[in-house]
Amino acid sequence: MAHHTEISHHAPEEEHPTTTGINNRKLLMWVFLSSDCLFFGSLIATYMVYRGQSLVGPYPVDIIDVPITTISTFVLLCSSFAMVRALAATNEDRQGAIIFWLLTTAVLGAIFIGFQVYEFNLFKTEGLRIDTNLFGTTFFTLTGFHGAHVTLGIVWLLGLAWVAKRGRLGPKTALDVELAGLYWHFVDIVWIVIFTLLYLIGGFDTGPAGDPSLVPHSITGFLGLI
Amino acid sequence: MSSDPGVHESRHPTLKQYVGIAIFLFVVTIVEFVIILPMEFRGAGWTIAPLAILSAIKFAAVIFFYMHLKFDNRLLTWVFLGGLALGFAVVLALVGLFTAWTPSARSFADDHAKPCTLDHELGGCLEDRVTAPPPVEPVTDPPETGSEPTPAEAPAAPAGGLVATGQQIFLTGQGEGAATACFTCHTIDGVPGATGLLGPDLTHIGTEAATRQPGVSAEDYLRQSITDPEGFVAEGVERAVPGLMLPALTAGLTDGDVDALVAFLLEQK
Ligand code: HEC
Repeated sequence: MAHHTEISHHAPEEEHPTTTGINNRKLLMWVFLSSDCLFFGSLIATYMVYRGQSLVGPYPVDIIDVPITTISTFVLLCSSFAMVRALAATNEDRQGAIIFWLLTTAVLGAIFIGFQVYEFNLFKTEGLRIDTNLFGTTFFTLTGFHGAHVTLGIVWLLGLAWVAKRGRLGPKTALDVELAGLYWHFVDIVWIVIFTLLYLIGGFDTGPAGDPSLVPHSITGFLGLI
Repeated sequence: MSSDPGVHESRHPTLKQYVGIAIFLFVVTIVEFVIILPMEFRGAGWTIAPLAILSAIKFAAVIFFYMHLKFDNRLLTWVFLGGLALGFAVVLALVGLFTAWTPSARSFADDHAKPCTLDHELGGCLEDRVTAPPPVEPVTDPPETGSEPTPAEAPAAPAGGLVATGQQIFLTGQGEGAATACFTCHTIDGVPGATGLLGPDLTHIGTEAATRQPGVSAEDYLRQSITDPEGFVAEGVERAVPGLMLPALTAGLTDGDVDALVAFLLEQK
């Protein structure tokens, strides 16, 4: 254990009984993710409140590119799979595989960010900036914060890969990988929501001249669902 | 890796399960994409329900399997679902507060959209500043009809109706005829919204007008300034842009409008 102490102060969770029966770091991670739901919830609510309220273009239908974003969504889904493989490799103490899957996850995340940078730049040249209209403001704020989460995750994964390279990840420190994985998957599910709401549902919203019957309010649809 | 995915044995799903979930997520995403593939389905109201359900399924698959909530302590599930429910409540509350559940995404904007002529001098919309001042005393009686003021309105000066009409024309440019709203260029202290900086300050024009042109009464001077701005431009009047008050600006006003404006300006002592 001695050589593990500087990177990980915990023993395998079974050895540290807690009142909740859950490792405290893991509980903290879940509490954080739970609170992050509120964070993204507010941003999503803001998007929905201002959805379709822009008085000047470009409107979503003018610039949202669903096919391209479907591809980047696949990339993020793949990265989640790579992440679970990294955790499995850690539990099984397959050192080479740990590094491989951690790096694969990080690279897929970076590709996703690449798509986002490409998209943001394209939008900018097409005239949508964060201060252009309500759509621009809410869109860039929401997707921007998600992108920031992904970026942080990439840094975290690269750090883990570096630790793994020094041979310090294994079954006893699997929680280190597990926590990063929880964060990473959470970022993935946030994207699942964003992709559905901003692209598949809101991506075809038109401007004031558009036929309102073609652009149902998201919440009305939700109520119809219940 | 155990072949038994049971809770007792392994706290994580098996490789086979992981692969299965990955394929499942892919397929669901493809289905979502296919739903909006036909042009006429894009943005259609009925697509919202299936899309929302499919993404909720993906969401659940990731948290219960990839994040192995299904195999973990129940408390974690409640911690997370609690935050999720709160987040959902925030969304419902904010949307309910701010959109009043409008029937369509655009209907609120369509109802509230108004033309905006950008004011490059002062920023904002010209239209906003026309409507910004609180309603002036109600102009219920146009001067021509000369209806008897009811006791409630009695405190108003005899020319009150005319003055009020004048103020309204000054602030909106809309009388019986129409002109460029005077407030865009003229300031009158004490009249909300009259903050233009291009022409002379008219705060005390009611007294100053008499001194502008020897032998010309205040009323005549004002009348001429409005109907024929170029006719006589008094010396020594401070203004940012001399000669800007072009005849065309006021050409649309009727005689009645000019009477009202003059009455209003004479009150600015
Ligand atoms: C585009 C700007 C502009 C608008 C709009 C405008 N004015 Fe003027 N006004 C001026 C300027 C500038 C002068 C000074 C004379 C000149 O240089 O032409 C002036 C002069 C005057 C004067 C004489 C002031 C003095 O001190 O002798 C009066 C009275 C007046 N305007 C009334 C009005 C009224 C009433 C309206 C609305 C129907 C109006 N103006 C609209 C720019 C404007």
